[in-house]
Amino acid sequence: MHHVLTRTLAAAVLSTTILAGASGVLAQTLTVGTRAGPESIDPHFTASGTHAEALKHVFDTLVWSGDKLQLEPRLAESWKPLNDTTWEFKLRKGVKFHDGSDFTAEDVKFSIERIPTVSGPNPTTIYVRRVKETKIVDPHTLHIVTDGPAPNLPNDFIRLFIVSSKAAAGLTKDNANEAFNTGKAAIGTGPYKFVSWTPKEQLVLDRFDGYWGGAQPWQKVVRKELPNDAARVAQLRAGQVDMIVRAPAADVPTLERDNTLAIVKGDTVYVFYAEFDMREKPPQITAKDGSALPANPFRDQRVRDAVDLAIDKAALAEVAMEGLGKPASQLVTPGIFGYNDKIPVTKPDLNKAKELLAAAGFKDGFKVTFSFTNDRLPGDRAVGTAIAQMLARIGIEVVANAQPGAVLFPARTRGDLSFVMSGWGTLTGEANYTLSSLMHSNAPNLKLGAFNWRGYLNPEMDKMLQAAAVEMDEAKRRKLLEDANELSIKDKPLIPLAAVSSAWALRKDKVKMVRTRSDEDSLAMDVVPAK
Amino acid sequence: MLGFIIQRLLQALLVMLAMSALVFVGVYAIGNPIDVIISPDATQDIRAQAIARYGLDKPLWEQYFIFIGNLLRGDLGRSFVFGMPVVQLIMSRLPATLELTLVAVIGATLIGVPLGIYAGYRPESPAAKAIMTASILGFSVPTFWIGLLLILTFAVWGGMLPAGGRGDTVSVFGVEWSVLTLNGWKHLLLPAFNLALFKFAMMVRLSRAGTRELMLTDTVKFARAAGLSDATILRRHVLKLISIPIVTVFGLEFGSTLAFAVVTETIFSWPGVGKLIIDSINSLDRPVMVAYLVLVAALFVTINVAVDLVYALLDPRLRPGERS
Repeated sequence: MHHVLTRTLAAAVLSTTILAGASGVLAQTLTVGTRAGPESIDPHFTASGTHAEALKHVFDTLVWSGDKLQLEPRLAESWKPLNDTTWEFKLRKGVKFHDGSDFTAEDVKFSIERIPTVSGPNPTTIYVRRVKETKIVDPHTLHIVTDGPAPNLPNDFIRLFIVSSKAAAGLTKDNANEAFNTGKAAIGTGPYKFVSWTPKEQLVLDRFDGYWGGAQPWQKVVRKELPNDAARVAQLRAGQVDMIVRAPAADVPTLERDNTLAIVKGDTVYVFYAEFDMREKPPQITAKDGSALPANPFRDQRVRDAVDLAIDKAALAEVAMEGLGKPASQLVTPGIFGYNDKIPVTKPDLNKAKELLAAAGFKDGFKVTFSFTNDRLPGDRAVGTAIAQMLARIGIEVVANAQPGAVLFPARTRGDLSFVMSGWGTLTGEANYTLSSLMHSNAPNLKLGAFNWRGYLNPEMDKMLQAAAVEMDEAKRRKLLEDANELSIKDKPLIPLAAVSSAWALRKDKVKMVRTRSDEDSLAMDVVPAK
Repeated sequence: MLGFIIQRLLQALLVMLAMSALVFVGVYAIGNPIDVIISPDATQDIRAQAIARYGLDKPLWEQYFIFIGNLLRGDLGRSFVFGMPVVQLIMSRLPATLELTLVAVIGATLIGVPLGIYAGYRPESPAAKAIMTASILGFSVPTFWIGLLLILTFAVWGGMLPAGGRGDTVSVFGVEWSVLTLNGWKHLLLPAFNLALFKFAMMVRLSRAGTRELMLTDTVKFARAAGLSDATILRRHVLKLISIPIVTVFGLEFGSTLAFAVVTETIFSWPGVGKLIIDSINSLDRPVMVAYLVLVAALFVTINVAVDLVYALLDPRLRPGERS
């Protein structure tokens, strides 16, 4: 009763505030210029980041990842391991779906089990791959049985969206997208209700007044897809959108001078890294005259160290990334579970680099093709070309090869490349996600090392990562991951270069950003009216 | 006439077949779409399952024959990225491109042809020289740059027109059109102008050249001798005789603009098919690419047939019945 009264009072106060200022009514719509939107309204259709970002407004996840990717309660209020293979999740009570029905354990079980039957070409099965069985204990308690010790299960569940078991009942691959895109099945528990969506154009949302976390300040949210940087900036300056994500680094100084705009910068979990081909027969390394080398230089620790010493990471961050970056000491960023704060950022030392190269028998250098993406992360092209120049200083002839991700990624998977730079984001908030894919030896039978195309293998590394994957004790797991990060820097099969920062630009008179997220998600829940 | 149309349709089928095979081989050569679409943390068996489910593990020729088989049943497939039928995806965006292209090409013709005729009729006048200079600019200045300047001038500084996007639409026969609202026209003006510049320049040059040539012919001399005013001569004789090349170019330009208005659509965030196809290329969304290019091939063939029919209307010598 008390609760209801408070709500009513709050609503009354809110509506008076709205009536008080005529401009307040206008401020009720938030228009955001985003890079990309959802690819369907079915949250289980695809595992892409922008898809999840957009649908977080409509659907809640079981576990929430906070602004620094720390785990927070959401639809699950608490969770704990009961034994090595069972997790208990206690669910939040009093949560309503947009159609007014109650949220229960049945909806969670339904959501987990429907994923394999509706997922598309980028399957969301990765979020429930460890789940063997979902047992309902009571309407607000679940036991999840895993296929082995799964200490990171709550991290997997930060993208486990819960849909209504009634609204989405019986849908299959052939009709699920239609049912969700028309809004019929798009019933979630999130702060905003689905109104309409046009692919590659815009997503329109309406406030859900029955939201368990309290009603949001915006009556309506429009997320426009504006993938072109210049178009996004132009629409912001013309007043067609209230805020934009990823303001291009080159435009930030100009936007900062505009006194109607505010720029908010935030660190992200994305790190640029350059990786070495350590296989015996590299396809893209030769002597400078094009003849074959007796051995792959990158297999020599001294050569990898020399390359590291030749790269000025501070210059990459300040010049190539125009200030929207920070030198990186390791593959994960500070704040990620398993980040090792004792690892320093390598200081450039050209003389030592040349000495190492000479000692390894490459006094006159060699020739290598350096491939990097030019359309995936802000600044990737600039960082790639800068590195090619830096390596020329120690006599390595680098052929810079900037490519769209659509060309580079399949070529890398095929093993056609020998020196590659791209970006990686530790989106689950813990280092094992990154290390087990990039640092473990390529072992399809263990489902590990999927992105280790370069032939790096250190049994000690494999042992640590396998232990961390099943270690249920948090302190021990953290130690294992910190040690693995240290070993990765010692062995240096790849060089972490710089962490990417992101900039948001907003119209000062209309919106204020209360927090930035390190996964770059730009949520209406993190933005409030300026007045 | 019927034989002519049937022959054209058969040619169209061949072109579409060749087109689909080319796109298939091209995308196959770049790599597996799943490698681009899938999340970095997908395990290898999840990846293998996804590849198998979309038939991407089959040999190229088998994938192609499955596609052709579905096509014959009228099924162009589903987009990898959006999971919705490709036809629905393309049709949801075609009206936007259609109205942009129509306004641009028709606008360019209605303004460009009279100006071109004038420039051919009075080639030495200052106005004619100004028209020709403007047409050189239209030819040589890149579209994207003009587009950015238009946005900067009219949207960012002037604030009178929106910087991009499509305006309010009205539904007619289930299709959304923005040319029927004032807000829609505000959004349409800049991108249409941007897109029209090049066509405008081409129309001016074509009609000027045609007019200059015709002004020296006996037809015009006799018409003058018969006492017809210059205005009548230009309207009744010159315009009609220069129409054939103009109609040809109009058709070709209309087709290519409709299919590849991508630069303008990107700069002005216009939700048309051009943007769709570029996004599909970036994500190797093969079903969308193939279906789109097949439809474009069909479109070109249709436009060419229509142009041939218009020839017959314009030039009595080309009417099949009147040849003998």
